[in-house]
Amino acid sequence: MSFRPCWRCFLRASDLSTSIWQPSPARLSASAAPFSTSTSSLTNASADRSTAFRAKVFNLKKEKPKNDVRAKRPAPGERKAYRKRIILSNTNALPIYGMEDFTVENMCKQESKGMVLGIPGNNVDQLRAVEAFKPTQAWGMFRRPGMLVRNETVEYAKLLEELQSQGKSLRRVLVGERGSGKSVMVLQAMTMAFLKGWTVINIPEAQELIIGHYDYAPLSGSSPLLFIQKSYTARLLSQISRSNPQLETLRLSSTPPSNFPIPIPANISLARLAGLGASDPEIAWPVFQLLISELTLPNSSIAADDQKRPPLLFTLDSLANAMKDQTAYMTASFKPIHAHDLTLLKTFMDYLSGASPLPNGGLILAATSASNPPPNPSLDLALAKLETHSASQSSAPSPDPYNPSPATPNPFYTYDQRVMDIFEGPNGGQVEVQRLPGLSKEEAKGLMEYWAKSGILRQDVDERLVGEKWSLSGGGIVGELERGCIRMRI
Amino acid sequence: MVFILQRNFKDARLVKVLPPPPSTHIPQLTGPFPLCQKCLETFYGVGPELSARLMARYYIHPTAKVGSLVDKQILDLNADLSTMNIENNLRRQLRDNIKRLRDMGTYRGRRHAMGLPVRGQRTRTQTATAAKLNMIERKG
Repeated sequence: MSFRPCWRCFLRASDLSTSIWQPSPARLSASAAPFSTSTSSLTNASADRSTAFRAKVFNLKKEKPKNDVRAKRPAPGERKAYRKRIILSNTNALPIYGMEDFTVENMCKQESKGMVLGIPGNNVDQLRAVEAFKPTQAWGMFRRPGMLVRNETVEYAKLLEELQSQGKSLRRVLVGERGSGKSVMVLQAMTMAFLKGWTVINIPEAQELIIGHYDYAPLSGSSPLLFIQKSYTARLLSQISRSNPQLETLRLSSTPPSNFPIPIPANISLARLAGLGASDPEIAWPVFQLLISELTLPNSSIAADDQKRPPLLFTLDSLANAMKDQTAYMTASFKPIHAHDLTLLKTFMDYLSGASPLPNGGLILAATSASNPPPNPSLDLALAKLETHSASQSSAPSPDPYNPSPATPNPFYTYDQRVMDIFEGPNGGQVEVQRLPGLSKEEAKGLMEYWAKSGILRQDVDERLVGEKWSLSGGGIVGELERGCIRMRI
Repeated sequence: MVFILQRNFKDARLVKVLPPPPSTHIPQLTGPFPLCQKCLETFYGVGPELSARLMARYYIHPTAKVGSLVDKQILDLNADLSTMNIENNLRRQLRDNIKRLRDMGTYRGRRHAMGLPVRGQRTRTQTATAAKLNMIERKG
């Protein structure tokens, strides 16, 4: 029997048993090695592991319960409450010992300029009730709410004193750059008014009234047709009754009109009256009307034994929204309603234009907003005209390269006569426009020292730092100063 | 629960689907949230324009919830909607129009009957919508 020779080594089959090509088990496994990077000693282990892994995967699928837990959806209103919440205290901030409070005396002192004064506790509650604090302001960074006494603060304190003593009224619009402290100026005016026992009514954000988030209904018997916002009016009445404790002592002195919706006892306190309106939106508007007419009754017509009416501070923030010719509300014939046809805004505009007098004195204060205001050429023009008019008596306004002549009508714009009439009409022309400038360096230093004492600004407040931050904030624009020092610290 | 035109709506529903917010910095709501909450626009034939006009007619503000409507507003809405050519009447009108085209033997009628595109679109691909909707007894 002949064997075929191995064609590689030409050995006979008989010799194959001794040749290096003998396929022994060890050789076999070694010969497999060049195709794998793992050593042969691991082959068994890896095989075990892969089967164990497979088994484990199988078991895992079987054993692990299905994870069906989803994140809980926030309850209705929870997100809004979070967005709108006002935090006025921070226990992490250092308390400032010896910080004085706002008082009637120290707020009009020249020495208080550049100091940060605390808001007294009961005033904080009142200001909270009138929604004077805004969520965008940095109250939550400090131990207790405090405000810088700037040059304008002292002016306001003196102004309020003068208005009260002389029984005069003043109508004023605050303008200024974004973050220049317009809303806080309104807040300071409200604080002073509360301290002096004035009646304070505040519309915290005019936008709320025009974007269609509150119900509306035509006011029967009005011509041209006006629209009331019952639930907002009820809210405003509740705000008035909670924030003005002196209304408890004021009594209704006139008889309500014959068509008043509910019988009310004579000699009812104004706080109780406001409470009635707050609890029932259906009667809120007539109650508001009666309350306002009572608050603005001339003191000369009030009986001697009755309490005299205090001056009134009526404020509104975000004025451009209150001047819109088209709101989200529609008439029955599907035409947008003018903001001045909404009764609450109309009431304010009547006081601002001077159509409704304030016989016992008071201040009508409106603040414009520079954060996302609706474009309103009529308001811009009217305010620019008034500002140029007042500036021509003192100093020229700062030139704006993008709008060199803001007080001249632009032929490509249409102007709303109703808005212009507020400022230029028969009763208008007496509205003052006040531009809030940046802080002075001394005021900026006082504010920065307060931040340093609160432990938020961790630098030595010296001339150099104050100068640097003051310049970087566009010449002491307080919002920018705050952003540069305590919000965007790196 | 409020009944409008024999259909009941939960109180928390908005009367109208909200238009997108005008300012761009507000993030747009994604998902079915605004759509599922509309009420008037659930009726076939009532769209954004008509629902806005209806609400203006009875002084219902844009973000009103169904539960906040007073009885008179609901009655008025019901009375108005019942006189309108909506729901089954409108569907019937649509079917009648198609039927008329078919009875006349027009090309359009034929295409409706065959479930093919009516207005000259291609038929090689992308005729799913026509296949789904076009028929003599069209649903709506």
